[in-house]
Amino acid sequence: MSMMLQFANVIVFLGVGVLFLSFSLLLSSLLRPSKYSEEKLIPYECGENPVGSPWIQFNIRFYVFALIFIIFDVEVAFLLPWAVVFKKLGLFAFVEGLIFIAILAVGLAYVWAKGDLQWVRPEERYGR
Amino acid sequence: MENVLLTIVTFLPLAGATLLLAIRKDNLKAIRLLALSTATATFLLSLPLFFHFEASTPGMQFEQLVTWIPSIGVNYHVGIDGISLFLVLLTTFLTPITILSSWNSIDRRVKEYFIFLLLLETGMLGVFVALDLFLFYVFWEVMLVPMYFLIGVWGGERRIYAAVKFFLYTMTGSVLMLVAIIALYFFNGGTTFDYLTILSNVQTGKLILTVTEQSWLFLAFFIAFAIKVPLFPFHTWLPDAHVEAPTAGSVILAGVLLKMGTYGMVRFCLPLFSEATLEWTPWINGLAVVGIIYGALVAMVQTDIKRLVAYSSVSHLGFVVLGIFAVNQQGMEGAIYQMLNHGISTGALFLIVGMIYDRRHTRLIQEFGGLATSLPVFSTFFMIVTLSSIGLPLLNGFVGEFLVLLGAFKANVTYTVFATSGIILSAVYMLWMYQRVVFGEVTNERNKGLPDLSLREKFILVPMTLLIIWMGVYSQTFLRKMDSSVSQLLSRFQSTAVVLKK
Amino acid sequence: MLMDNLQSLRYFYPELTLIVAMLVVVIVDISFNRLRNVLNPLLTIAALLIAAYFTAYVNHGQEANLFLGMLALDSFAQFFKLFLLLAALLVVLGSLHSEELLQVHQGEFFALLLAVTLGMLLMANSINLAILYLSLELVSLTSYIMVGYLKGDRLSNEASLKYILFGAISTGSMLYGFSLIYGMTGSLNLYTIRDAFLSQGVQGFDQFTILLALVLTLAGFGFKTAAVPFHFWCPDVYAGAPTPVTAFLSVAPKAAGFAILVRFLFSGMTQTSGSEWGLVNGINWPLVLIGISVLTMTLGNIAALTQNNLKRMLAYSSIAHAGYILMGSVVLTGEGLKSMLIYMFVYLFMNLGAFLVVTIIYNSDRSFEIGDYHGMFKRAPFLTFAMGVFMLSLTGIPPFAGFLGKLYVFLAVIEKGLFWFAVVGTLNAAVAAFYYMRVIKAMVLEEGNGKTAPLHVSFLNQALLVALLIPNLILVVFWNPIERWTASSVKLFSGL
Repeated sequence: MSMMLQFANVIVFLGVGVLFLSFSLLLSSLLRPSKYSEEKLIPYECGENPVGSPWIQFNIRFYVFALIFIIFDVEVAFLLPWAVVFKKLGLFAFVEGLIFIAILAVGLAYVWAKGDLQWVRPEERYGR
Repeated sequence: MENVLLTIVTFLPLAGATLLLAIRKDNLKAIRLLALSTATATFLLSLPLFFHFEASTPGMQFEQLVTWIPSIGVNYHVGIDGISLFLVLLTTFLTPITILSSWNSIDRRVKEYFIFLLLLETGMLGVFVALDLFLFYVFWEVMLVPMYFLIGVWGGERRIYAAVKFFLYTMTGSVLMLVAIIALYFFNGGTTFDYLTILSNVQTGKLILTVTEQSWLFLAFFIAFAIKVPLFPFHTWLPDAHVEAPTAGSVILAGVLLKMGTYGMVRFCLPLFSEATLEWTPWINGLAVVGIIYGALVAMVQTDIKRLVAYSSVSHLGFVVLGIFAVNQQGMEGAIYQMLNHGISTGALFLIVGMIYDRRHTRLIQEFGGLATSLPVFSTFFMIVTLSSIGLPLLNGFVGEFLVLLGAFKANVTYTVFATSGIILSAVYMLWMYQRVVFGEVTNERNKGLPDLSLREKFILVPMTLLIIWMGVYSQTFLRKMDSSVSQLLSRFQSTAVVLKK
Repeated sequence: MLMDNLQSLRYFYPELTLIVAMLVVVIVDISFNRLRNVLNPLLTIAALLIAAYFTAYVNHGQEANLFLGMLALDSFAQFFKLFLLLAALLVVLGSLHSEELLQVHQGEFFALLLAVTLGMLLMANSINLAILYLSLELVSLTSYIMVGYLKGDRLSNEASLKYILFGAISTGSMLYGFSLIYGMTGSLNLYTIRDAFLSQGVQGFDQFTILLALVLTLAGFGFKTAAVPFHFWCPDVYAGAPTPVTAFLSVAPKAAGFAILVRFLFSGMTQTSGSEWGLVNGINWPLVLIGISVLTMTLGNIAALTQNNLKRMLAYSSIAHAGYILMGSVVLTGEGLKSMLIYMFVYLFMNLGAFLVVTIIYNSDRSFEIGDYHGMFKRAPFLTFAMGVFMLSLTGIPPFAGFLGKLYVFLAVIEKGLFWFAVVGTLNAAVAAFYYMRVIKAMVLEEGNGKTAPLHVSFLNQALLVALLIPNLILVVFWNPIERWTASSVKLFSGL
């Protein structure tokens, strides 16, 4: 059970965390004054009154855009270290980088051609 | 040249079936003629097997051996001895007859019908000639499929139910046999599926199985065969399949397929697992006797002629099993002889039932009566076949049953006494049925003016009847050729049983 | 021989071909409006053929560990790669005239198919748990999309969602199992893992942790191969997905799953001799595998008995077949391994054939119900004949190829003396006979339901049917090449 014993640290950590949290919450509830009023229950206590329910449907295209964004986000994350040591690696790394960018470019072209970069989508051109 | 003769005989029907594929569907005449000529050619080619068969040689003849899958020791190995010779001949003899019998009565999907019939013949012949366990199993299963379709497509009212039942029963039995075959293969060292090699290893003591091992293997083989025979209590598929199958299907089923079970017992169960055979003989004989009496009693109360004949098969095959497990010369020869008899007599009975069914489209006994006046020729043939089935002396059935009872009497008196009552019962139900159908006043208007046998039908029944009489009068023609094979089988059996007892 | 990244590329051509083809298909799809429906299938077929060529000839006989020990180049991988490429090729051909897929984002279908195939090739190759997991995820993610391919079809959507949920849990648990193994041995490489287990002895590790790790890992493999109790996704997914996709899923990822299972068990968990289980005292691993195998085939068969939807029936039957294939893994011998490969090989032809017939019938009748197959004999004799052969082959009746698969599996287990296991297997075959024969019964024996118009089978589909029929019909006679091929493919493990 040696490996299991190592998890004891985690359990101790967990226990300390729970104790600490409950202790501070308890302490603050003992110390603070408690005066309830209706204003205190609304989301923004300090200004605007909310209109309608916060549970509304977002446009599905937000997600599509978020997904496309992530691809390029990751691209940057990969390209940044590549760019830093670019000079040391020479031509080979340059070609490799180009291939990498080209692959992602195909993806971008695909998304573009399918009309996914437009917020108001024209009628679907491809397939059903 | 003679080496390939068996292969040619076995696969000629397959070639015929392939040729049939090329013929147009609506060219009925060409289809029937081609099917008939293939089957006849097969029969003619199989005749040299009989004439060139050395009666004094106990071992395999016309052997052919070709390597097939060397890595697991599978060979294409065929050959026949005095036991399988006659079953091969029975098959090649009955097939053209069944084709003739279904000349006009099959009018739907004619082409497929004959294709399946010929495929079935190849499967059956393969089972009888195979000397490699793997090959045997392949043929054993191959034959299932065309039979399934023959019953299921061209059968009677409840044909689909019967076909499925037939298929599942036989399949269940045979997959267990597969396990036993593979197990035997590994007990023998895992090098060959060759039957003769394994057999000689059993003989020489190279392959020694404990009684327990033998019993399991024996049972796995035996149950597969018992379902096919069918031995009580595995018989319930048989009446359904028989009744629902078209005439040709019933003839093949009764004539050949059932013999595969008993043939398998003779070929595999006895010589390979002698000790286990002795162990289980009392039980098997008991089941056989129960089958004889049960089959006869149930046959007696049937209202449908075909069902009656079907149950009579259960009874007759009980005799065969009894003869085999008497394990002596008379019993064994009687059993083999009885297989042939049953194939011919019961086959003929089904043909006759088919003929009146073609005329009246009913098989209920009460619908008939007094057929003798309108169908005199038919009734004569019917009489001969009925008597042969009962076992009247000078007809074939007598020889077989007599030998079986003789052998069984030597082995165990009690069983024989009970079994003999089966003969009496068979006389009762057959003659009673014959009397109700053929004799008496013509009670049903529709039975008047029925046409008597046509030339084609006579052509079917005459050879069968001739054979019935020949086999009854001069059985030596046939028995002579099986003597040495049977006695070798028995001496092997005795020797291994003794070796193992030590 | 351990190779670095650049050296490895030389042996990576099959995979590279697929990657390039995938990109080209996407480009063609968005740039050639007219030609894309012709070009895309051609490109896909060409890519698969070229990849197969590289696998079969250029990489033949090479033994190396590529990419610093990530992938193995050996005859075992070669068998699976050719198998998977063949499966993909047959599915591409079968999907061309499928009404379900026709014209619906065709280019994407082929790109996805190439991606799945790529993932599966990597699965067959991988000897490193990380790459194994990555390739498995590549296969899974793309198959989720392929299953949900018919966007307007509720069943297809439901299937996709179920597949994702099940897949996420199974692969997640597998990943957890991998991490435990890594924690114990300090390596992701299967050979290093084995050496670690061997050098310290199993006693050196915590028994519970080993057990947990293996169970979790098996869950992942079980999910891919649809073995009980990880099979729940299978019927719904198979029924909901477009038929060609179902055909593909029922053969290819399953085979890839078995490939990684075998690699994991043989390379990672056993002694070099491959004949001994040197792991986890007190737990009978063969027995566990026997249990899974028996449960898988029995449950699959019994559930298939009552299905009236052909696709569902075939889904359950494919679960049962996974059970048979698992039988071969139980004995842990070269023979057992060979029997697995043989079984998969014949299974490819019979199962794809059955699905092709289902596709063709759906094309004209829009139905998967067995009741609508009644009297098919009159409308399409050749199709009925083909289906009959496929069904009998699936049942395992000689002289059709399926029999050989069963034979070898039984040979393997009986050689090890597992008689009762073989008996259970054979009795299952008898049960399976019932529902396979039901299809034949419906098509041949039952009277038609009024429809008499001959069923249209396109020329391509006819040719494909013939191509799938031939192996089913002749393999029993011309068996030796397959036997030798599979035997040489497993010599890595069996030392034959």
